[in-house]
Amino acid sequence: MSVAVMKTKAELSFAESFDHVQDRLPGSPAVKQVRRSAADKFAELGLPHRRIEEWKYTDLRSAVKDALPVRVGDATQMTIADVIVALGPLAKLETYRVVFVNGRYRKELSSPDQLAGLEFEDLSSVLSSGDENAAGLASLTARDDDAVLSLNTAYMTDGAVVRVQAGAELVKPLLIAHVRAGGEPGFIAVRNVIDVGAKASAQIIEAFVSLPGAAKEGQANAATQITVGDEAKVVHVKCAADTGDGITHLSNWMIRLGRETDYAGFQLTQGVSLARNQIFVAFDGEDTKLDLSGVFLGRGRDHIDTTLVVDHAVPSCESRELFKGVLDDQSRGVFQGKIIVQQIAQKTDGKQMSQGLLLSPDAEFDSKPELEIFADDVACGHGATCTELDKDLMFYCESRGIPSDIARGLLIESFIGEAVEKIEDEPIAEAVMEFARGWLSKT
Amino acid sequence: MLEIKNLHVKITEEEKPILKGIDLTIAKGEVHAIMGPNGSGKSTLAHVLAGRDDYEVTEGDILWNGESILEMAPDERAAAGVFLAFQYPMEIPGVAGLTFLRTALNALRRKRGQEELTTPEFMKLVKEKSAALNIDIEMLKRPVNVGFSGGEKKRSEILQMALLEPTLCVLDETDSGLDIDALRIVSDGVNALRSPDRAMLVITHYQRLLNHIVPDKVHVLAHGKIQRSGGKELALELEQSGYAEFSEKAA
Repeated sequence: MSVAVMKTKAELSFAESFDHVQDRLPGSPAVKQVRRSAADKFAELGLPHRRIEEWKYTDLRSAVKDALPVRVGDATQMTIADVIVALGPLAKLETYRVVFVNGRYRKELSSPDQLAGLEFEDLSSVLSSGDENAAGLASLTARDDDAVLSLNTAYMTDGAVVRVQAGAELVKPLLIAHVRAGGEPGFIAVRNVIDVGAKASAQIIEAFVSLPGAAKEGQANAATQITVGDEAKVVHVKCAADTGDGITHLSNWMIRLGRETDYAGFQLTQGVSLARNQIFVAFDGEDTKLDLSGVFLGRGRDHIDTTLVVDHAVPSCESRELFKGVLDDQSRGVFQGKIIVQQIAQKTDGKQMSQGLLLSPDAEFDSKPELEIFADDVACGHGATCTELDKDLMFYCESRGIPSDIARGLLIESFIGEAVEKIEDEPIAEAVMEFARGWLSKT
Repeated sequence: MLEIKNLHVKITEEEKPILKGIDLTIAKGEVHAIMGPNGSGKSTLAHVLAGRDDYEVTEGDILWNGESILEMAPDERAAAGVFLAFQYPMEIPGVAGLTFLRTALNALRRKRGQEELTTPEFMKLVKEKSAALNIDIEMLKRPVNVGFSGGEKKRSEILQMALLEPTLCVLDETDSGLDIDALRIVSDGVNALRSPDRAMLVITHYQRLLNHIVPDKVHVLAHGKIQRSGGKELALELEQSGYAEFSEKAA
């Protein structure tokens, strides 16, 4: 990769901005050094483009026209009532809430009491203390071929650094709320680092939402690293449900699973114009169960890309993937699901399914299952479908007096319901369905 | 009152006509049966009455209570009182039976200017009607028709009919796939809905159903036209002689 490659306006902006804001970004000198390297790495790589195989359907270099001003030290006015409004259906849940507004932790908007078994600190404080291990920086920088992650490392302002103590069973879900507000469009980079101790049980919800009146445009770069200890159980849900018009959402989940863990991850993506959700999973221990599911909803010219890389590096693990997209107008959904089964990973059991429901003849769904299987005693299967609303079912509903718009809603809900049902916790699943219903009703 | 006048129907975007001039009048309170060989157009007639857009009316009219329904969408026809019991009822994964029934019933009530039912009112009504049809309410908590046997699906169609209270009931081969007991339960359910305000059109292959749901008139539909009409004895005659004489008639 030659550094002499022509830079786009956005790439140059990102590089320039760094020089201006780097002193205001939280962190000890050691952290600043890591940030500097990451910024240099980004400058070298540039934004990924379609000639890179993993980005062939989502050419960020051409899609991201400009870099919005970086938000540091945000001081936007907000009340708890505002947060409740922004959270929508999630506000109804009983949760332990930590709130970030425009990339800055707001203690006064977060849950006041402690949650037994949970240790929380805001990333900004952790970075300033210089504890790189806690900040997860050491492990993240190992993945240095990813421009989006480099941008995150360079610019991250805040996030949740969380530890679920070994053996603890959280009585409420942890809700990490990232709220976008204020009339000025901006670029926000946040990072969560989550460590779930052995035999612990936790439910974690990440919400990316906006307050009514927030700028229509925005760029968010979010990274969550989660390490799950042996025999622990985790339900991890992300709701990217912004309601702007020109929102870019770039997200990375990096997941490491220990032995005999039970991890179920779910992502809802709606209301954003350009999204790339990357999920990387590494198995560190045997007899682990992984479930990754998601729903993405697109209209207008939305482009939503979900890219998974699941690496079975040890034997006897099970992985299940189910992603469903509903695409209207000229929107585009992308699913890339790479499953690697290394030679020693015998008795791997992996299944993948991606499904697109096209509501208009101009919508498009691209699905690329990629299975690299090097072991010989495994059960792996994958499927991908792309359909329209079933006309016979529509007629059946209408012949019973159900008007076509309500019939459509019922059938679409039934389509996405299969994935939403994967969320074991019913109140969380219902909140996700409510977000989706809200999107559906805005036809 | 249902008046079908010189109805000509073909499949949308194709040339071949299926119904070639049907004339049929069913007064309120009457039950008419339509029998005929395979491919005669019986199911087509049923679907055209319900408003399926896979079929195109090229000539003629369908009047329900004096008003043409040809321009009405399927849900509008349902609001006007038309109900089609499908020969092959559809499964709707992910949509609970009770949700489906409540959505349909309240949609119809709204269109008819009535108040929607509250959930307790609705549940009371469903429990009552489903008990009469031997349908366990637990089955209705599952997605519509998913995992139902043929007989259970047909009973579920009659339950919908009982709840939505249509005034024109079109039963498309309701007896296909039913064993003797299911046949009796379904027939009892249909007979319970017979009333002076309701017209019924029963489409069937076999005379057997008509022992249970006794028609006022029987018509033979073959080659796209009604070839013969008569009283309920006509069905017994057909049982003896079959449809052979109709297959030789010119189209």
